[in-house]
Amino acid sequence: MLRDVSFDVRWGEVHALVGENGAGKSTLMNIVSGVVRPDAGELFFENRPVHLHGPRDAQALGIGFVHQELALVPQMSIAENVFLGRYPSARGFVNRRAMHERARQVLAQLGHDMDPQRPVAELSLAERQLVEIARAVAFESRLLIMDEPTAPLSDHDAQALFHSIRLLCERGVGVIYISHRLKEIFELSDRVTVLRDGRLVLTQPPSAVTQEHLVRAMIGDELKQKLQSVAAASVQTGEALRIEGAVNLSIHKGEIVGLAGLAGAGRTELLEWLFGTGGTHSPAAGIWVNGVPVKVRTPRDAIRHGLALVPDDRKAKGLVLGASVLQNISLAAGRSRFFMRRAQEEQAARQWIGGLRIKVAGLSQHAVHLSGGNQQKIVLAKWLVTGARIFLLDEPTRGIDVGAKAEIYDMIRKLAADGAAVLMSSSELEELMGVADRIVVMHRGQIAGELSHADATEEKIMHLATGGVD
Amino acid sequence: MSDAARPVESSLPRHFLSVASLMRKFGPLLGLLILCGALGAASDRFLTADNLLNVCRQSAVNALVSLGQLVVIITAGIDLSVGSILGICCVIVAQLMHAGVPPLFSVVAAFAIGAALGAINGILLTKLHLPHPFIPTLGMMNVARGLALVISGGFPISELPSGFRFWGAGSLGFIPAPLILVVLFAMLFYVFLSRTTIGRDIYAIGGNPQAARLSGVPVDARLILVYSLSGVTAAAGAIVLAGRMNSGFPLAGVGGELDSIAAVIIGGASFLGGVGTVGGTLVGALIMGVLRNGLNLLNVSAAWQTVVIGTVIVAAVWVDIVRQRAAEKG
Repeated sequence: MLRDVSFDVRWGEVHALVGENGAGKSTLMNIVSGVVRPDAGELFFENRPVHLHGPRDAQALGIGFVHQELALVPQMSIAENVFLGRYPSARGFVNRRAMHERARQVLAQLGHDMDPQRPVAELSLAERQLVEIARAVAFESRLLIMDEPTAPLSDHDAQALFHSIRLLCERGVGVIYISHRLKEIFELSDRVTVLRDGRLVLTQPPSAVTQEHLVRAMIGDELKQKLQSVAAASVQTGEALRIEGAVNLSIHKGEIVGLAGLAGAGRTELLEWLFGTGGTHSPAAGIWVNGVPVKVRTPRDAIRHGLALVPDDRKAKGLVLGASVLQNISLAAGRSRFFMRRAQEEQAARQWIGGLRIKVAGLSQHAVHLSGGNQQKIVLAKWLVTGARIFLLDEPTRGIDVGAKAEIYDMIRKLAADGAAVLMSSSELEELMGVADRIVVMHRGQIAGELSHADATEEKIMHLATGGVD
Repeated sequence: MSDAARPVESSLPRHFLSVASLMRKFGPLLGLLILCGALGAASDRFLTADNLLNVCRQSAVNALVSLGQLVVIITAGIDLSVGSILGICCVIVAQLMHAGVPPLFSVVAAFAIGAALGAINGILLTKLHLPHPFIPTLGMMNVARGLALVISGGFPISELPSGFRFWGAGSLGFIPAPLILVVLFAMLFYVFLSRTTIGRDIYAIGGNPQAARLSGVPVDARLILVYSLSGVTAAAGAIVLAGRMNSGFPLAGVGGELDSIAAVIIGGASFLGGVGTVGGTLVGALIMGVLRNGLNLLNVSAAWQTVVIGTVIVAAVWVDIVRQRAAEKG
């Protein structure tokens, strides 16, 4: 996978590592953290050659890995999670006071004063991320590898995380930072390395490169033009969806409406309520589809009215991971028939696999083996097969690489050009400003304001999202 | 229909036909063949036509019950009540016939009661939001067994009409009648699971109930259907067993839930849901039947048979896990 890659991290620096899925980032990090042994080449730690025989060797040296998927026990406290498996103890008894005290110190080093006795189940996603980092810090790690730590976070929470990372760097900890969000790389990192197809393309301080430069390095030239946002002034022909009540919103056919807001502002709740998932409280009173009032009590009702939901968490809510590509794409369609129509379903699936350029080994490949971008395209294809006309997209590009992102933006624009209505939620403001015709900002379950494509700036959106008034 | 599927298979890269994936598909069958070979070598009475047909007859009840259990396990559920539902259906079908109800109507009534008790399991699970199917079916296991004892007064109801006994003890030519029933049910379940949209829903619910719901699958209705089907196959097992024993006895099917779960799991299904086939389950039921029969022929005592079967169940699941790990690596 990797060829001729030479990579180094200095004390106290954030070294960003970027590249598309499959570029070799994971392989490189698995070598550094001792999971994989390289066939050739050498690894130096503090200028001494080291041979890692497993992740434990790496941990003993002070190399910590903050995983993308959080591995915390929700029923246990913050302190218990931080010291999981290696509690401070005397003669087999856990010294709870020492554990809480040390956990408090570690959290303070990260610039937080959370009560270490709180159960993790109560914590927000951002706080859990912090506990995960605290675990590595408590291990006396001097090199931290972070794999897309901000993927599930809103911009606001990401800022708090950056603050913690900077505090660590001041104490001399080196950080390898993997991310798909280019903006934060410019904000946070001291150097950035781009991998493509297992080769190192460049290593530069971010001040020496532009964002465009990085993107081209990551994907080559052919896809570049797709990234340029051309939110075409689409033809608006009638209202597709209207909600009235505590939340008032109207979306026209052919329109892409962006939904911005901090984590917990109620974006996911709104989209899932629209889709009939029956949450505990309704953000609005009534729904109109194409001007007609409709009742949406279950997702089935929603689908019958031409709605489609791409949920925020594709693995938990979007896909049956153990089922085949064909089964996933066909799941929402053809429900009115008793017998499946295999030939017809396969033809439809092939059509959208081609249309969305989904890379699969075959229709019977299991969804679990696909990359994040291809998985998300499968979720999209499932709805395209049903002929849905109103698309509710919740973080449709979370955790997927730049090339696949561009293709998904492309698809969203095509849908809109074709007359479909799109309501798209995202934590990445840049993305919303690039794709949406207008941006609706939520704050505490309410709509705080609305900005047109021309008016929208990050400052204005953040102002509304944090509860500021015009 | 199967022709349309073929080009896809052939367009797959070679590793899809790897040893691991073949093992996944045919592992249980291979196990059965090896077992038969070994028993054939150990006893010259094992590999005779008479004995093999006998094995089929003995495995029929468990095979029928296992088909329903399979559908439940595909949804990541479990049905502990099948043995007791079998028991109560046994008693009721016998009692109805003793009361002068024609066999056909008695059989229909038994199926209806099996379906209804299964549906209650499903309704308790989905509408009362009980945390795990273990709970409602454990309750039903006790309630149905208790009712079977109450209805029968604790005594077997013997001497059943010969037309009824055909499905348990009769033959069509040399083919045992219960085998015909198993083949019929297996074909229906195969078509249901692999060719209908409801079947696909059932696999999706087992794979990821949340995603299934958000794709428009009516999860509660499907689960209620699934547990009723399990009740129906338990009733089918009751009819075969009552016919074979010429009696409806209240303790019929004790332990049947565990035999059926074992057959389904040996047949390659997973407790995690989303996986499992009719063919595998039939092979699983045959493995259980062949083992019991072979150990009998070898004069192994009933006590030791239990030990062997317990070991085989654990070993089969362990082999399955090894298989899955190999598949993930390959």
